[in-house]
Amino acid sequence: MKSNTLAIGFGILALVFIVVAALYGLGVLQILTSTTSGPHVKHAILFAVLAIASLIAANFTRERAV
Amino acid sequence: MTLAQALFMGLLQGATELFPVSSLGHSVIIPSLLHWKFKQSDPTFVPFLVLLHLGTAGALLVLYRVQWIAITRGFFTAAVRGRITTGPERLAMLLLTGTIPAGILGVFFETRIKSLFASPYVAAGFLVVNGVLLLGFEQLRRRAERRAALESKPRAEQEQSFSEAERISFVAAALIGACQALAFFPGISRSGVTIGGGLLAGLRHQEAARFSFLLATPVILAAGLVEVPQLFASGVPVVEYLVAAALSGGAAYASARFLLRYFRSGRLDPYGWYCAAAGLLSLGLLALNL
Repeated sequence: MKSNTLAIGFGILALVFIVVAALYGLGVLQILTSTTSGPHVKHAILFAVLAIASLIAANFTRERAV
Repeated sequence: MTLAQALFMGLLQGATELFPVSSLGHSVIIPSLLHWKFKQSDPTFVPFLVLLHLGTAGALLVLYRVQWIAITRGFFTAAVRGRITTGPERLAMLLLTGTIPAGILGVFFETRIKSLFASPYVAAGFLVVNGVLLLGFEQLRRRAERRAALESKPRAEQEQSFSEAERISFVAAALIGACQALAFFPGISRSGVTIGGGLLAGLRHQEAARFSFLLATPVILAAGLVEVPQLFASGVPVVEYLVAAALSGGAAYASARFLLRYFRSGRLDPYGWYCAAAGLLSLGLLALNL
């Protein structure tokens, strides 16, 4: 499915994931974590991977000039 | 934990991680049956598990080194190009798709679920469930074989009628990945549910096992690498643990080689019966406190 709107959506999603990854990495975000203080490396890595996956999805869905 | 116990646990973890019989279940039940008193809350226990898992992941990386090089290349090529053209590129994207649900569920729920159910009784119960699941997967496969009028054909020919890992759908890859979350329950096997999921997606047994092992590698490796700093905590007998990890890796490598050969024509049934019997026997022994 090729659509620039979808690609932009994935791009925005990637940005959100990057911000969430940074917040977990810095220890600012403590939602759904086993401890309530300090950085959460696993969560940060997960959201970084989700950001990369979203960027790949954006690249797959964008329309290309023939 | 004594050196002999560490080595035994390394061998047990490596041997059972890839067999569809639940390494976590065995590592909860067997020390309890042997009345070993080491505490899983001990600060050196997590680094121990980390090293054992790194040993297993290392064995899988060595076993599939050629494929991983092709998959890594394929991943970057397809990601940059925005299009899939080759088998390794598709496999790379399927593995990414399968890893994401496993990663999400693992990061948010693994610790909670494992701590809730880390009892030998529960593990033995889930081992029985694992056995029933494996037998159920094979029943569904036999039904698919009957539908395709394959039941009278030789096993090798039956298997050839099914697909290879590169050809499954992305939805199937995501579902197989999500199935890994079931393995947070001690007694349910990660490889068992992912091989079973692969069979339901129409893969040959050998291909389902290959996809399961490839899917497990990044998750096991990442989970292990994140915990590496804990190895440098004081009081961790690193050398002893490294030897145990090497044993775990060796056992995992031998297990994977055996299973890939076995699944050319073998089925999940023997492992299903083993899990059901071992689970029931363990429940009996634990109840009698022998």
